[in-house]
Amino acid sequence: MKNVILLTIDALRKDALSCYSSRKGLTSFIDSLQDKCIKFTRAQSTGPYTQASFPGILTSGHYLEYGKPKGLSPQRTLISEPLKQAGIVTAAFHSNPYLCGLLGWNRSWNIFYDSMEDEVDPKTPYIRGRAINTKVGEWLSSHVGDKNYQPFFLWLHYMDIHEPYVPERKYVEMVDPSINLSQDEMYSLFQNTLLRRDVSDPEKVALLRRLYNVRVREVDSYVQEFFSILADIDVLKDSVIIITSDHGDEFNEHGGLSHDDKMYCELINIPLLIYHPKRNKGEVCDSLVSNIDIPPTIIHLFGLEPVASFEGCSLIPLNDYLERGVFGEAIDQRSQRGGDINKDIYFYQENDLKVIYRANLDSWEMYDLNEDPRELNNIINSSPEAKELKNKLKPRVRRWLRWSNNGRKNK
Amino acid sequence: MTDKEERYAELVNKSKEVIREAFKQFKTSDLAITWTGGKDSTLTLWIIRRVCQEDGIKVPKVMTIDEYDSFEEIHDFINRYAKEWNLDLEWCRNDDVVRAAGGKLNARVEVRDLNERNQAELKRIGFKGEAFPFEAESYVGNHLMKTVVFNMYVERHNVKGIFQGLRRDEQAARAQDDYFEKKEASDLIPEHVRIKPILHFTERDVWNTYQVYKIPYCILYEQGYRSLGAKSTSAIAQPGVPAWEQDLEHIAERAGRRQDKEQMMDRLRKLGYM
Repeated sequence: MKNVILLTIDALRKDALSCYSSRKGLTSFIDSLQDKCIKFTRAQSTGPYTQASFPGILTSGHYLEYGKPKGLSPQRTLISEPLKQAGIVTAAFHSNPYLCGLLGWNRSWNIFYDSMEDEVDPKTPYIRGRAINTKVGEWLSSHVGDKNYQPFFLWLHYMDIHEPYVPERKYVEMVDPSINLSQDEMYSLFQNTLLRRDVSDPEKVALLRRLYNVRVREVDSYVQEFFSILADIDVLKDSVIIITSDHGDEFNEHGGLSHDDKMYCELINIPLLIYHPKRNKGEVCDSLVSNIDIPPTIIHLFGLEPVASFEGCSLIPLNDYLERGVFGEAIDQRSQRGGDINKDIYFYQENDLKVIYRANLDSWEMYDLNEDPRELNNIINSSPEAKELKNKLKPRVRRWLRWSNNGRKNK
Repeated sequence: MTDKEERYAELVNKSKEVIREAFKQFKTSDLAITWTGGKDSTLTLWIIRRVCQEDGIKVPKVMTIDEYDSFEEIHDFINRYAKEWNLDLEWCRNDDVVRAAGGKLNARVEVRDLNERNQAELKRIGFKGEAFPFEAESYVGNHLMKTVVFNMYVERHNVKGIFQGLRRDEQAARAQDDYFEKKEASDLIPEHVRIKPILHFTERDVWNTYQVYKIPYCILYEQGYRSLGAKSTSAIAQPGVPAWEQDLEHIAERAGRRQDKEQMMDRLRKLGYM
């Protein structure tokens, strides 16, 4: 295929999409693409928030690989690097400050828009999906001037689902018109309940989830708009589109809100769809896969040689994919600015079994996701497989001790 | 010419084309040049001056912004070459803000102490506080001490086209810039065209061009600064290592500057982090 597009949606829970759950009506456009998609039913993120998951999505690696994370390590290979080197035009459009140029994510893109110079409103503290689409559309029309345009890799990222969950009335009306809040009231709910991680009032938690759902509906309309831009410029037929999210969001499933340093399914399960315009029958892949598999897939789609430093494997062709266990890691971001690497947490999943280890507390958890998909029943002391899984995760714990503070490897 | 000289002659020639196009589109008296004393705007000015010498044109007027919190070394550099190159230079400053701050950096500035124009500017950028600290590179400070001063200069001189030393690789968000960028008139901003002759240079190209053409630069770059902004918020990237000997390809150029970091922190706070 000539072009590859990676569409990432911040904080989109897998179970918010109808094609992944019984929840209805929020993502009718994305659902309508299923006939042309491979749907991965068990895709996992490498971490519960942007900084921990994007090393997987864009560098096929794990968050704590190079010591205390301070932006993108020069040691990592960003997907744009091998692509640009191969003569593929690389373009990025997003509005997530954790992925901004200042932190090094602008390496090797022909076009890199991170919105950091634009002014934003506190109630929508990012450039909205609609505006991202406009910018992408302008760039695409200028790039695809004639038939002989250079193949491109386009990455775009929508922020609109991310808190503070202050949707426009128009979308509230579409999804849940009985929400009777002004934008100021929604914003105070964010300030007084979400920011404080206050889950004491189930009604407020439920209200946050309802506002979140409205945002999901809104983003579905941006995805639809994006597809029609591609069709108008006539590049849809020549582009494979990978759709995923960086992580989910919590609504008191495990005592919290938003997306902190936890490794449970509401944060780690992600939707992953690969849209192929020539496909006419949907396909479902139930293998356990990780977002580290995305960069090798992109490399494969462009027909390039595999990149040695990428830890993942190409998801395509499906038959060649070898299922392995998946890992994730994170640190506490809330107790100190820049994150506290001494409060680190790891997970490993294999088949339906998942172990989670909090290093500073030396505490282990284990869940059988087949019997206990919501991860409420810790079987670490009773499972015969506990030891084996722990041993697989242990070598990854505190790898960051091998690195000094200035990003050099300790002798 | 060596290969290296040839490569940089080519980059400079591209800039000259842009500059000549600007002189074709605008009267010299409608043009102006922004000059910060930094490496990019000094290179831009140097190339414009070359074109003027070659074509027998007067060098357009030059403006430089005094953000109050500035390096003496930059002042000295600007004054020295303004004289040597016989430039029509104007120092511009937002004196109203300096006055309201009592001339002290980090002093608390009450919004009600500012004049109408500055108050209107704060409103335009959505600042709703009663006061802010006097810093050149905070979000508010940057707007009042730089953006507003720039817009007022354009307005005062009825400038139609203004040269700037921006580079495409310097800041991610500028990746889409073009050599000529028309700014439509809007609230408090007069219509003008921004002309960016060195847009295609990388930081490495800039330093190599300085070397090939022996262009003068501010001494701070020798001490290890890579990017110069306000004095109290610019940091030496590598002490004692001249800018051109540093790892330009892997370490962000503006990492020592605070304005971008402030902007990022502000966004993160608004998203509920920090």
